[in-house]
Amino acid sequence: MPVTRILHPIYQLGNPQLRIFRPNWFLTLVRPGREQPPDTVQFRIPMDMTKCDVKNYLEKIYNVPVGVVRTRIQFGSNKKRNHLNQKVKKPDYKVAYIQLAQGQTFTFPDIFPEKDRTPEEGSMEEMQEKFMEDEKQRQKGDPRRGGVTEWFGL
Amino acid sequence: MAARIRLSLLVPKNSSLLGIQRRVHTETAAKEPAYPPIVASLTAKSKSARLRQVEEQVKKIRASPLEEKLSLITRIQRKKFVVYPQTFARNADRWYQHFTKTAYIPGLPEKFTAAAADGPDAPAGTRAAVPGIEDEAFAEIRSLVQRVILQEHWHVKRRRPFLYRHQQQTVGPFLRNLVKELTLRVALHNPPLLHSSLDFSPAVNFYWRRGQRIIPKGHRRGHLEPTRFQIDDRPLCQIRITERLPQFAPLESSYEAEVPEVNLRPDLMPLFRRQYDNHIFTGAKLPDPACYGHTQFHLVPDQFHRDRMARLQQSDQVEVFLRANGLASLFAWTGAQAMYQGFWNHEDVDRPFVSQAVITDGHFFSFFCYQLNTVALSVETDANNPRKNLLWGSESLRLYERVEDGEVVGLNDHVLALLVHFLMNRP
Repeated sequence: MPVTRILHPIYQLGNPQLRIFRPNWFLTLVRPGREQPPDTVQFRIPMDMTKCDVKNYLEKIYNVPVGVVRTRIQFGSNKKRNHLNQKVKKPDYKVAYIQLAQGQTFTFPDIFPEKDRTPEEGSMEEMQEKFMEDEKQRQKGDPRRGGVTEWFGL
Repeated sequence: MAARIRLSLLVPKNSSLLGIQRRVHTETAAKEPAYPPIVASLTAKSKSARLRQVEEQVKKIRASPLEEKLSLITRIQRKKFVVYPQTFARNADRWYQHFTKTAYIPGLPEKFTAAAADGPDAPAGTRAAVPGIEDEAFAEIRSLVQRVILQEHWHVKRRRPFLYRHQQQTVGPFLRNLVKELTLRVALHNPPLLHSSLDFSPAVNFYWRRGQRIIPKGHRRGHLEPTRFQIDDRPLCQIRITERLPQFAPLESSYEAEVPEVNLRPDLMPLFRRQYDNHIFTGAKLPDPACYGHTQFHLVPDQFHRDRMARLQQSDQVEVFLRANGLASLFAWTGAQAMYQGFWNHEDVDRPFVSQAVITDGHFFSFFCYQLNTVALSVETDANNPRKNLLWGSESLRLYERVEDGEVVGLNDHVLALLVHFLMNRP
């Protein structure tokens, strides 16, 4: 967490509380690459954040019941080369697996759901699609010929 | 020289062959095949060859004597999941049920609940009755238990235990004393216990295979590999007897029981893989006559003590931990007993094996009964096998409240009766 010095007016006892201070840490909720148990949530967290920090962050700010936090550091690949043949490092990042308490479960939402792409009856699109299909069928050739070209043969 | 010997050996064979041929001609033609059956090669690099090799190995293990059998089963060392009976993983009991194909039945088997049900019916005696033990004898046992508790918590002056060693240094001796004294006393009413063997902190190991995976990378990539598991358990003490305890439920009753299915990889539990010697051990070597299990006693370490769990706001995991512990320990022990009788994957048990366990943190006692119905857990033998192992378990029950001025306050007779009843179980 980069330390930034901001001067706030001094709080006097009895003044209304106007500011809430929050850590400038950002957690990224990610879809797990491998399937996880239903009570496990995966985050990418800043490198200097610890398990206790994650637990406090989720419990105090979002009221999420946290059972256990496990973290690991993912090594970013150092194999790629740029156009000058220099090694290019992908940055490392920290991954946190959080098991929820109180029997809560979490499934990553389907952000981009499959839209059903059936065009309306009699629309321009449908006609176009049909035309394309017919054209494809025509150009396919005779399956009985087994891939032998048309000009070959009687 | 060699040729002459071979010839001389062949002569009787030839004569017998001729005899067979003659009979074939006289009887129907399609009686005996003239050629040996066509089998897959043993040495080729193919799937059928691999199957044949496995088959040969199974035949070899089946034919070998017990000691060699165990060493053959445990011989191949690969990375295996190490299952810790006392685990930090959350909701471990469901995973363990899947690994061991065990159905959990809340409450104790009928044998023990029947006696407990009799207790409230007889309001004159406040205690729960144990069949085979009279009131005076039970009162004696009760005073004995009180003495043991007082010994540890009142008479003995100990130094302050080391950090996170309180259970080991304080409750451990108490439980050892309790088991020693109780077994001696109960043995008067339960003669098979006289020939039993009481082990202190024995090693109990079990190794088994269940499930399989496709190896994702490496030089064996694409191969099917069975998932291997190993339990290394160290109960506080255990009682072994010379005869088998009777089954709690008939084998067929397990067919309908339900085992939770976990389709995820075990390392998400989390569980870790290590490679070392595979062990199968009941706590005694093979020739020991006391080869059947009776009761195991486990101690809850400080790390999983319910006060600490409450401090961590994980009180819901207390019972889960106990269940997982009972399940894994009892499966390991009972499975090892079955293996000592020569049963393994391809030769499933012909009769259920049974053991019991008591898990305690000094105040709270939980009771578990295990019935091993099958050891055929690996993929090739598990298909179409309706048998399931069964675990009965009680919630944790409080034995006594506290010790005050040299008196034990609130000694729970029901729990004590249950403990005695467990020890009274006889073949």
